Amino acid sequence: MSPALWLLAPLAFAPWLRVRGGRHASALVAIAAMVEVAIAALISFEVVPGVELAPAGDALTTDATARLFLLVIDAIFLGITMSAWLRRRVNQGVPDRGALDGLFAIVFLVAANLALVTNHVLLAWLALEVTTLAAAPMIVRPDKPGAIGASWRYVLFSTIGLGVALLGLLCLTRGHAPTAAGSYFFDELARTRAPAGDGWRPLGVALVVLGIGTKLGLAPMYTWLPEAYDEAPSGVAAMLAAVQFNCALVVLLRVLQLPDALDGPAPGVLLTMGLASMIVSAASILATRNIRRLIAYASINHAGVIAIGLALGGPAAYGVLLYAVSNAFIKAILFISVGKMEHHYQSKDMRDVGGLIKDLPYTGLFLMIGTFALLGFPPFGSFLGEMLILSSLSATGQLLVFAGFCVAIATTFVATGRSVFPMIWGEAKRKATWPRQTAVGSLPKIAFMAALVMMGIYVPPQLNALFRDVAAALGAH
Amino acid sequence: MTTPLVVFVLILLLPLFMSSWRTSLLGLAGQGLLMAWIVYDRAPALGLDDGAALIDLGLLRGLVAPMVLYRVLRARGVPRRNDVIPPNLLSWTAVLVLVLLAFRFAAALPMPAHERPFVAVATAALLLGFFVLATQVGVFSQIVAVFRLENAIAMFTLGMPAEHDGWWIRGVEIAVLAVTLALFRWYLLALTPAVPAPSEEAA
Repeated sequence: MSPALWLLAPLAFAPWLRVRGGRHASALVAIAAMVEVAIAALISFEVVPGVELAPAGDALTTDATARLFLLVIDAIFLGITMSAWLRRRVNQGVPDRGALDGLFAIVFLVAANLALVTNHVLLAWLALEVTTLAAAPMIVRPDKPGAIGASWRYVLFSTIGLGVALLGLLCLTRGHAPTAAGSYFFDELARTRAPAGDGWRPLGVALVVLGIGTKLGLAPMYTWLPEAYDEAPSGVAAMLAAVQFNCALVVLLRVLQLPDALDGPAPGVLLTMGLASMIVSAASILATRNIRRLIAYASINHAGVIAIGLALGGPAAYGVLLYAVSNAFIKAILFISVGKMEHHYQSKDMRDVGGLIKDLPYTGLFLMIGTFALLGFPPFGSFLGEMLILSSLSATGQLLVFAGFCVAIATTFVATGRSVFPMIWGEAKRKATWPRQTAVGSLPKIAFMAALVMMGIYVPPQLNALFRDVAAALGAH
Repeated sequence: MTTPLVVFVLILLLPLFMSSWRTSLLGLAGQGLLMAWIVYDRAPALGLDDGAALIDLGLLRGLVAPMVLYRVLRARGVPRRNDVIPPNLLSWTAVLVLVLLAFRFAAALPMPAHERPFVAVATAALLLGFFVLATQVGVFSQIVAVFRLENAIAMFTLGMPAEHDGWWIRGVEIAVLAVTLALFRWYLLALTPAVPAPSEEAA
């Protein structure tokens, strides 16, 4: 049995949720996430010696791409669930998830892991579909009438995007060998180049870019994202932004790892969608006064940067990976911090919040750090990733895109700072009440922050080898 | 082009020119059942994979999905009229242009001649699905458009040279489609306001 199948283990916690009811759902989901992190670490660091983890042609794979992202998404998922659990332990007023939401969270986790380790194109698509179907009900909150509409638009756009991606994947399988039976395995597709004059592979890659681009929140199909991130509970928003985003990205990476993936219209599509996303997000950040929407638009901006990096292929590959992984941690820190802030101030309007660093010291500190990382300041990994992408843009002579990139980044920088910094250091809008905040409750965010700094200063050799292997698969030398 | 494919194109087009949600649902049912017929007709002996395909296309898409949506709309008392696309000459022309474009597109792709009609019809179904999505804001119309897209993809796979190995993947596909349908039903119930009966309105 492939060790990748061990990733299904958290499903064993589902019956417990029914037995224990909703009272301990957060704790059970956190324990399930711990189990998944342990399995992911075993797989990622190849602790099981002498075992061929997943033979070629198998439906599951534990290649470098899977191993890198398994670690990232499982660690983040654990952090999010631990944060929810600890927050409930400290503040008894915070309601626990129901048993049903706990079940959805576990299904989401398992499907997200399967999306990373699958080598089968249809299985990859199915896993992404299941993450969508599991996340959609979690967006809905009984006290938020707008949440169901946001959830519907999330499902609608995701279904359409994934439908287009599926069509693209089918075109890829068709383009594999027009005269013989096609292949449904990524590794077999990667071993062959499309025959000369074959239109299926370029068409397939372009459709996958468009479809997965919708899941990543790239323009023009991005409108679901701000709404969903705004209405969902903060933990669910963090899961969508940090976990699901990377699952969709991995499927896109697998397609872009095909030998001639960037020979057709895909680079142009990626560049256009990326730049358009950056411009749209910069303008939207300027206009918004809602902190959650600001993070959502920043997420669109990140997707844009990643798309531009992917369009450049090999030279920017390492930077793209560093940037994507860093941003997963940034979004998790920000959404968890904003959830706490929103609970305290009962508002998402940035004008209602001031002097956060005095009122909620831990939350203020993490919001500050998250914002600096979001804006690409050193010493965070996002800074290094962005610099590598920018230098690749310059080196490949994409000067117009380079200029647009810089303008969009500068606008985002000014607009975000103008809105967020007064919240942190500005004059208090009300008397400080000093709610109970403990360092233990902030442990997940501290871990995320450490990971962010580590990626900017020193990436451990084992992890760096994973980054390098994935970048090499994307054409980096 | 075979007779089922010609009928499929007609079923794609007719609901666009008839403004009724019942016709839309009949169209969806017709698409599912026709695709099931194509699978049944070309399989000399039904295997596990064909059986799963029949459940997916005939039972789920052809019968269960339209029935579920019908019951929700009927319970909500939704008026008979429902424009799938704006009822004007521009929309109708656009529909016909999209169908022509789909056939021209299929003619340009490299593939054996017998697969070409499937790709052409699937492309037409896909473009029309997107057209419906682009012109509608109501939840029901959007659900119909999504099912049109899903059916287009199913039609595309019917024309593929080789089916993927593993009936279990087809089983997972069926399960995902069934959950999607249940979720769509939930959204339709939650986001479609009930229309009061005429007598209540008068009172």
